[in-house]
Amino acid sequence: MEIYLPIAEQSMNVFVLLGLGAAAGLLAGMFGVGGGFLATPLLIFVGIPPAVAVASQANQVVANSVSSLQVHWRRGNVDLRMGMVLLLGGMFGSSAGVWLFTYLKSIGQIDFVIAVLYVIMLSTIGLLMLVESLSTYVKRRRNPGAPRGKLHTHYLVHRLPLKLRFYKSKLYISALLPVGLGFLIGILSAILGVGGGFVLVPAMIYLLGMPTAVVIGTSNFQILFVAANVTFLQATTNGTVDVVLALLLILGGVVGAPIGSRLAAKLPGVVLRGLMSVLILAVAVELLTELLRTPSSLFSLGIREVQP
Amino acid sequence: MRRLLLALAAGLVCAAGAHAQGPRIEPPGGILPAPSLGGSTDSSAPPSVPNESATPELIVDLSRARVSITSAFQGESILMFGMFDPPGEVVVVVVGPEARETVMRKQRVFGLWLNTGRQSFDDVPAYYAIAASQPLQRLLARGTGGEILSLEDRMSTVKPVGSRAAAELARFRGGLLEVKRREGLYPAAIGQVTVQAGRLFRVDLPFPSRLPEGVYEVKAYLLRDGKIVAAVSRPLPVGKVGFSAQLAGWASHDGALYGLGAIVMALFAGWLGGAIMRRL
Repeated sequence: MEIYLPIAEQSMNVFVLLGLGAAAGLLAGMFGVGGGFLATPLLIFVGIPPAVAVASQANQVVANSVSSLQVHWRRGNVDLRMGMVLLLGGMFGSSAGVWLFTYLKSIGQIDFVIAVLYVIMLSTIGLLMLVESLSTYVKRRRNPGAPRGKLHTHYLVHRLPLKLRFYKSKLYISALLPVGLGFLIGILSAILGVGGGFVLVPAMIYLLGMPTAVVIGTSNFQILFVAANVTFLQATTNGTVDVVLALLLILGGVVGAPIGSRLAAKLPGVVLRGLMSVLILAVAVELLTELLRTPSSLFSLGIREVQP
Repeated sequence: MRRLLLALAAGLVCAAGAHAQGPRIEPPGGILPAPSLGGSTDSSAPPSVPNESATPELIVDLSRARVSITSAFQGESILMFGMFDPPGEVVVVVVGPEARETVMRKQRVFGLWLNTGRQSFDDVPAYYAIAASQPLQRLLARGTGGEILSLEDRMSTVKPVGSRAAAELARFRGGLLEVKRREGLYPAAIGQVTVQAGRLFRVDLPFPSRLPEGVYEVKAYLLRDGKIVAAVSRPLPVGKVGFSAQLAGWASHDGALYGLGAIVMALFAGWLGGAIMRRL
């Protein structure tokens, strides 16, 4: 069954889009991160223009993070103060990101930059996860019940000015760190159409040293508002948010997420992370080959304009 | 000289027909190559040949009056059909609205393919298709005064923006043609105009799912001995209708409201999804 996407201006199979949303939801359910970083490249693979894929995906992230935030908010797992500080950086970052996006689009380089950033990001995360899960697996086999290592170091965090006390996170660190982190994630979010949880969550744990319990909820809080900001700015500056596309992805996600969380309960974490890393690396390799392979056509068209 | 006079007479007959038959027929006086008119007459002059036939030489119609891009739109094929007075050959040309297109060319830089060159062209039709009841090259070789252009000839008339070496321009022009063909907007194999009973003709006009909006023009020509003796033009509006039209209109006219709407939709859908998920 085909549906016409009014902003992407092309028809696309409904089930392909629902399936994509479900796959992203599956990941979200399994790992507690939004599946945006896989959904956006997959949307590009099926032929959605990258600019529309990114902007509509940001819209999907809003839905994803609100349903996730509901749970964490109820459990009191949101460090509101930390969330606000992150958000301060995130708002500036995402606004700068949309501006950068618009500029790159005007010079015809946005598709390339999106692909390169995805390759760098996905291959880094994929490799880190693969190495981590393999080494954990090997270690557990040799020495079950080994104590976990130290989670974070303190030297950098403690030297910066503008220190703030974050009660819920039991931290006394410089506000500059979360602001800077929020800024970077904001840029990433705007250009790649992702929430950025898969970067934000490890950074909050290892860089800021936040307790794991409040990390997911707090990151969801910041992602919700940043994604909303990206959606709004993309809609006003580039007009590339396709709500029909976003709605289909969201619907798919609603189906996929519970399946993901059930799978996650059944499979051991090491196996899950191993599988996920292989999946991420596969997408990175596919994107890289697209960049390296001689294209079937050297030419493409920019935006149609009214003649001056 | 004799042929010229004959053509002139035919043209005048047709012009008279046009005046008699209403707006569907364009007076071909303006279409005929100027030299054959010799400047002695124009199409508005009273006909020197008696107006014998009450039927026009060329009548056409379309199976649909417009191309409606709905939520279920997957591209469309529109039938153009009609009747002509034999002998003659029929040529059908469909032209989409003209605009500026920018062609980008990829090059390998440090092993990666990225856009390095760009060239804009003005007067690029969004869509262009041409079909004829005989192989087109044979018909157009006889010269139609530049009124009917093959796709390649039409492409050579797009105006480059800025200056560039001729060889480079030709490459970008070729690239433009290539992309448009790939997108199905310059369908190469539109097929022939099929003629039945010597006077009925039909041709299918294919429109892909990624179709720029605007008013397209469908033109039919009747050719005799390489000269246009009749021409009919019909506008074909292409536009989004219904839900997709509302959304697209909203997105382009009021981006802020659309953006807020998109956020509210996502908030609600996400909240609902989360609530349902917890029940399961």
